[in-house]
Amino acid sequence: MRKILSPRVRGYRQDFLKIAQVYPVPYLTGGSESSCVVFNLDTMEAPPVTMMPVTGGTINMMEYLLQGSVLDHSLESLIHRLRGLCDNMEPETFLDHEMVFLLKGQQASPFVLRARRSMDRAGAPWHLRYLGQPEMGDKNRHALVRNCVDIATSENLTDFLMEMGFRMDHEFVAKGHLFRKGIMKIMVYKIFRILVPGNTDSTEALSLSYLVELSVVAPAGQDVVSDDMKNFAEQLKPLVHLEKIDPKRLM
Amino acid sequence: MGKRNQLVEVLGSGKRLKGLRVDAVYNPNTTDRKQPGYPMPMRSCYLTGVCTPSPWLFSPPFYVSYSFIWVTNLFLLVQREEKQLEASLDALLSQVADLKNSLGSFICKLENEYGRLTWPSVLDSFALLSGQLNTLNKVLKHEKTPLFRNQVIIPLVLSPDRDEDLMRQTEGRVPVFSHEVVPDHLRTKPDPEVEEQEKQLTTDAARIGADAAQKQIQSLNKMCSNLLEKISKEERESESGGLRPNKQTFNPTDTNALVAAVAFGKGLSNWRPSGSSGPGQPGQPGAGTILAGTSGLQQVQMAGAPSQQQPMLSGVQMAQAGQPGKMPSGIKTNIKSASMHPYQRPSCLVFILAVPLRCKVKKLLGQEEKKNARLQLW
Repeated sequence: MRKILSPRVRGYRQDFLKIAQVYPVPYLTGGSESSCVVFNLDTMEAPPVTMMPVTGGTINMMEYLLQGSVLDHSLESLIHRLRGLCDNMEPETFLDHEMVFLLKGQQASPFVLRARRSMDRAGAPWHLRYLGQPEMGDKNRHALVRNCVDIATSENLTDFLMEMGFRMDHEFVAKGHLFRKGIMKIMVYKIFRILVPGNTDSTEALSLSYLVELSVVAPAGQDVVSDDMKNFAEQLKPLVHLEKIDPKRLM
Repeated sequence: MGKRNQLVEVLGSGKRLKGLRVDAVYNPNTTDRKQPGYPMPMRSCYLTGVCTPSPWLFSPPFYVSYSFIWVTNLFLLVQREEKQLEASLDALLSQVADLKNSLGSFICKLENEYGRLTWPSVLDSFALLSGQLNTLNKVLKHEKTPLFRNQVIIPLVLSPDRDEDLMRQTEGRVPVFSHEVVPDHLRTKPDPEVEEQEKQLTTDAARIGADAAQKQIQSLNKMCSNLLEKISKEERESESGGLRPNKQTFNPTDTNALVAAVAFGKGLSNWRPSGSSGPGQPGQPGAGTILAGTSGLQQVQMAGAPSQQQPMLSGVQMAQAGQPGKMPSGIKTNIKSASMHPYQRPSCLVFILAVPLRCKVKKLLGQEEKKNARLQLW
């Protein structure tokens, strides 16, 4: 019988992020290079001496996000247009399984971490992501801005999180296409609900639409990025309306 | 400006150097791009920079070392500018090549597939072109791009012979660099007729005066918005006849549903068919996804004893819907013991509940995976 670790860990947020080490690793699904954190979960040991752990002073990365959707029958035209507008590369498809973990502490709001693994790329690392609350206030900013920390990990991520006291809240499978333009990443994917927990074969589509996301991960303070995103969104206009959607409104 | 022996401030250093002729604007460090002197003065300083030492300045070795530093400084600056120029020219070239290719393919498409061309396909090509023009504009406006207006291209040698190199570089379009080719390719001003017309227009515009011009702009804007309103009203009225079912490419309700699913698992989490459910979970299908939402990510305020028991009890009632009879009694006893506990903090309550519940789960489920049970506990 395994012991359940008490979730009563004070300040767990900072500690969790501090135990990791920082060096640049390309973002999992092919986006732009961002500085990622890699922690070896198998042997629980630090990488060689040349890489010193960073306990502070990491750049605060923010994710700028615009979302929209497109119906299944218009997907082809959207893909065609995106292929023309975006950087010239082989069309990239992805099939990811994402699990969202919650840590309920003494604070009223639980700590959320998202673990994502690639189902069609063997050997790709797991991807752990923390997304903060969206920054409110600036009406001129055209995109949703939130704090973002991306970490690539080894395969025993779920065990590690369970031992830390996290519990899985929900999971889904995302299947779709990925495009890139400069630092902007455009994902068009369909969300599949998992019918039997843990079994990614029995899935069912959540709706008849594909979700379209335009995102940029950039250091904090670069609001000019949101103007570029808006200009790009204008070019997709009649097919899909990309806009800043506040998730709290939809609760 | 061009006087000999004029004392001039160089590089903002404050040192004054005699004996230096400067054929340029007073402030060679201008960062104002509009000033015609930028960045030329540096060059002329550099060219005339190896100056004659003046006997009235400091001791010769000091002066020579200072001028050396100053000269190398300028040299580096010039080098950096040349690199910038090259880089921006490369970027511009590639952008223009892309644009040319897409224009070419669009023209081919129009000419060859005229019969079976569809409007979305034409729109795509236009969108592509507009995107490329946008990037071109951005490249030109980039802060690292030097002002091309300051650069001058002068033909050094004109010859009527074929130039293979030039042929290769221009992809066969310009075979000869001769007197007929140069005025067209290296021109920097428009045709005389066009220039005349432009001058006419600018004088007309200046003649009107600022206020009248503003009024005209406002009336134009108002007319345009009126027209737009009329068009959209017409569109709306015609579409009410049901002519638009196939035009919708996206559904806003779907957008909201998808965003909610990705953001906090609405419609995804805790939805399990009643056969394979785990025990003790407050989010059972009987309650639907609403309760799942509240137990999942929303803040559950548990303040005071009575209200603490409420969510737990309601959860238990929900659990009863899909559970064998043994479980509920077990849970109720545990809650009773918990309520008698002097410390009524929510975390303690949850933790205390979790341990006995886990034991119950193990007993009941027996062969099922421990992992699954723990997962479903929450």
